[in-house]
Amino acid sequence: MFQRFAVKSATALLLAASLPIANARTRPHYGGTLRIETQADAWQRFASPVRRLVFEGLTRVDGAGGLRPALATEWKSDSEEHRWRFQVRTGVHFHDASAVTATALAGALQQSCTENCPWTVVRAVGTEVVFTSDAAMPNLPALLAGDAFLIQHPSSNGGVDGTGPFEVSGFSNGVITLKANVDHWAGRPFVDAIEVRTRRSIADQWADVEAARADIVEVPAEKLRQAKQQRLTVLESRSVELLALQVRSTGALSNVNLRRAVACAVDRGALFNVIFQKEGEVTGSLTPHWMTGYSFLFPLERDLNKAQALRGGAAPPVVTLSADSSDATLQLIAGRIELNLREAGFNVQPVQKGGRQEADLILKMLPLEVGESGAAVESLQRAFDAHAFSKPPMTSVTAEEQAQAMLRFEREVVANAAVIPLLYLPRAYGIGSRVRDIHLNLDASIDLADSSLEESK
Amino acid sequence: MSLRQKLLLMFSLTVIVSVATVGWTVSMRVRKVFDQLYQQQTAQLVNQFQSELDQRAKGVADTLSSVAGSERMLRISQEVALTGESGAYVTDAGSFAHENHLDYLEIVGADGNIISSSQWPARFGYHEPAIDGPPGHSFLKLEDMPDGGVSVGLFAVRKVGNSESGVTLVGGRSLDQASVSELPLPPGTSLYFYGSEDVSSSGSLNGPPDKLLNASAFQGVVQRVRASGAPASSIIYITRDRADSVNATAIPLKSDKGQVLAVVVIATARRGMVEVQNHIRSIAFGIASGGILFAIAASLWIASRVSRPIEELAAVSESVAAGQWDAQVKIERRWLGKDEISVLQESYNHMTGQLVSQRDKLVQTERVAAWRELARRLAHELKNPLFPLQLTVENLIRARQLDQGEFDEVFQESTRTLGMEIANLKTIIGRFSDFSRMPKPEFDRIDACEAMRRVFTLYSAASQEHGSHIQFKLDLPGRTILISADAELLHRALSNLVLNAMDSMEDMDTDGILNLSVFMTGAKVFMRIADSGKGMSAEERDRIFTPYYTTKEFGTGLGLAIVQSVVADHHGTISVESSEGRGSAFMIEFPAAPGEEETA
Repeated sequence: MFQRFAVKSATALLLAASLPIANARTRPHYGGTLRIETQADAWQRFASPVRRLVFEGLTRVDGAGGLRPALATEWKSDSEEHRWRFQVRTGVHFHDASAVTATALAGALQQSCTENCPWTVVRAVGTEVVFTSDAAMPNLPALLAGDAFLIQHPSSNGGVDGTGPFEVSGFSNGVITLKANVDHWAGRPFVDAIEVRTRRSIADQWADVEAARADIVEVPAEKLRQAKQQRLTVLESRSVELLALQVRSTGALSNVNLRRAVACAVDRGALFNVIFQKEGEVTGSLTPHWMTGYSFLFPLERDLNKAQALRGGAAPPVVTLSADSSDATLQLIAGRIELNLREAGFNVQPVQKGGRQEADLILKMLPLEVGESGAAVESLQRAFDAHAFSKPPMTSVTAEEQAQAMLRFEREVVANAAVIPLLYLPRAYGIGSRVRDIHLNLDASIDLADSSLEESK
Repeated sequence: MSLRQKLLLMFSLTVIVSVATVGWTVSMRVRKVFDQLYQQQTAQLVNQFQSELDQRAKGVADTLSSVAGSERMLRISQEVALTGESGAYVTDAGSFAHENHLDYLEIVGADGNIISSSQWPARFGYHEPAIDGPPGHSFLKLEDMPDGGVSVGLFAVRKVGNSESGVTLVGGRSLDQASVSELPLPPGTSLYFYGSEDVSSSGSLNGPPDKLLNASAFQGVVQRVRASGAPASSIIYITRDRADSVNATAIPLKSDKGQVLAVVVIATARRGMVEVQNHIRSIAFGIASGGILFAIAASLWIASRVSRPIEELAAVSESVAAGQWDAQVKIERRWLGKDEISVLQESYNHMTGQLVSQRDKLVQTERVAAWRELARRLAHELKNPLFPLQLTVENLIRARQLDQGEFDEVFQESTRTLGMEIANLKTIIGRFSDFSRMPKPEFDRIDACEAMRRVFTLYSAASQEHGSHIQFKLDLPGRTILISADAELLHRALSNLVLNAMDSMEDMDTDGILNLSVFMTGAKVFMRIADSGKGMSAEERDRIFTPYYTTKEFGTGLGLAIVQSVVADHHGTISVESSEGRGSAFMIEFPAAPGEEETA
């Protein structure tokens, strides 16, 4: 109950925040080309603003955090949530005009998940997609709204097609062109086309949006404050990303006290105050309070003395640390953590991610699936390596009991220091002046359903 | 060592020592000159390096001043001073450093804590000690790096703006092998930079990789400089080839507090000097070789003049010593009487001539003496039977006065006496005849033990039959000892010795003992006949083998002469040990028959 209240409160706040934009223009009109710029590949998972414009899932999360039908119109569970049946929306077509059928959806879902899936079997039964599992799947509808399970259908030209409001119409000179899907089941979007320019640096994106050469640009969390100071119009989500250290429980840190020493040695405050300039939220838990409705107290302050005491007198073996080398911010954070651990007496050796041997500590930035608390934890469990921690308990009980179970589970994971949560971070976009009625869904995906472009002056 | 070899050695040593002394002196002088040149060059390079260091320090200070005066940095400083918020600039030092070609740049807040660091971005919030030092001048500093290493840099500190709450810049450029390698260097000279990961440790060097010189090559001199803080020099040998060596001078680079932060090594190749030294050595060797050849030639020439005549003289002397008394030294006519050597040769030849002459005279004298002795002996021998003959004949003449019966009795008695004495004369003449006609031995492989046993058996039995008081003893090895000899001649010689021994013990009051023994030593066989008779005086001992010398009343003096002749014909020797009253022992030594050697 409390969880629901929290989600709704957050949604109300977000809507209130977006009101000035929505109220600026009352009569949207069709037409125009929306220009989006991204730093990375447009099709990358999780943080891509483009994927969800082209692909859809069986369900979706609306701006208020509620679960809404998408390619499935309704869903039902039986056998105490060991079996779920999703009714496929009729009359929907992929962008290559092939019909969306239960068989096509089941095939796409099988393709999207090859291991550690929430289900055991997915198959088409008539106009339904049926999921079965040995364990209860209370979070399945919420999970299916996630980025990992967007439906991608092999197209006739060798690519992939979706069913989203926009379809890919061209690609040249690093610019992906999307055109409006006029036959979209939810109605055609206002804008005619979207141009996505990839591989643009943040500085260039901001320069473009200021010079009205771009309409939507990225604002990384570490530059959010700077964007605000520069008077950039920023659309900011709630905390939808988790910055955390995955700790390998074998090898150098097999001793739980050493893992706890690592947790005590990390200075979250420096990361929050300096690198992210007080944007986001320092955390000791896996899922944020606004999302799950519960919270537990966990010491967040750095305790070097305790870290050294837990480490003990003996010099520990070399502890390896890796982070995505293409992400400068993650590298900076990894450097800071390395410094923290050295002060606590650890001998830290940075290693390349994806090296021959898995690092003892892996710095990760992971998306948080919005929805039920169990769904968020379950998605994190899959996002971390499978052996980081076990699956959360899945029982078909009341939401409140499920939340309590999740709380206990999270506390156990954190206490065991298999994962050391560091920060929750928002996702944000800089919005150009001619874009109207744009807002973010609670999972930080861009909702262009009602947005349009002002006429050029 | 021969005189020629001594001369050769003396000449060669003289040449070698002279050339070596000259070569060494020149080589040392060359080395000294090169050392002086090296010192001048090193001093010049040190000055050049110091000048370059000053230049770079000025460059760092100027660059830092430029950064501090930039609008962007001033704005950062103002905003930090105004808001106290510095998180927004955590990565700015990197871009400033990149734009201004600085290896190190830290933006430090008024509290001395790092706001942004280009070299170690994660170090924000940490205190920078360099900020506490006096601003304005450049200095050397060790900088901790994220990889755990330590690098050396030339740093400067600059305050941004005038506000006390503004930021300060600490920036610099690294000093490493790459930076020092830009210095212009004369050919054959290299500059190496040795930083240290831990300045307090004399351990790891992070010097430059080199095909010839690895980091450890200069480790000794670098460690010495680190320990002492003062420059040091050393010769570093890279390979076994002396030319592959360098003169290394290590100079410490110190911090303001005098701590040695790095060491610069100036290495000058010694190849040039070593090659000159080798050249000099080669020339010296050449001269020495020539000198030795000259010495050989000179020694040969001198030998022809000095040593060869002496060698010939020595050879002739050896010939003379061997009995060839008429040997003469050849004297070249051209040198005759012109030098001491020819005089010596002439004198020597005169001396050998004299010697031969004296020998001939002596032989003649001895021959005469021998004939006299022979005549005396013959006269003596013949006189004994002649006297009875004379008496008998005179008696016969007187007997003619007697009656026929008495005359016949005397006549028969006298003719019997005459016959006996004539037979005696024949015997005497036969002995002399025998001595003059000694047969040549017919060699055969015989057992020396058996020959001795045969003599023993013969004379011991005879002695017992005649009731002699002589005790015979035979001492033989339990095996045969073969010699190459004529059995009859040997028996005759041994018999002669045994009879002599028995004679010497005949008149003794005590029982005599005659020891007969045979033994073998190495390849020699010894036959010994020892008696306990009256023995011989020294004079007798010296003369007993002289023919016709005898100590017996009725001896011919030919017995031992015959024995010696037999032994000599068997390629053996005979010797005697004797003293008066203690008996005599004759020892005959024969060579063992081929294949007959003593077995232990």
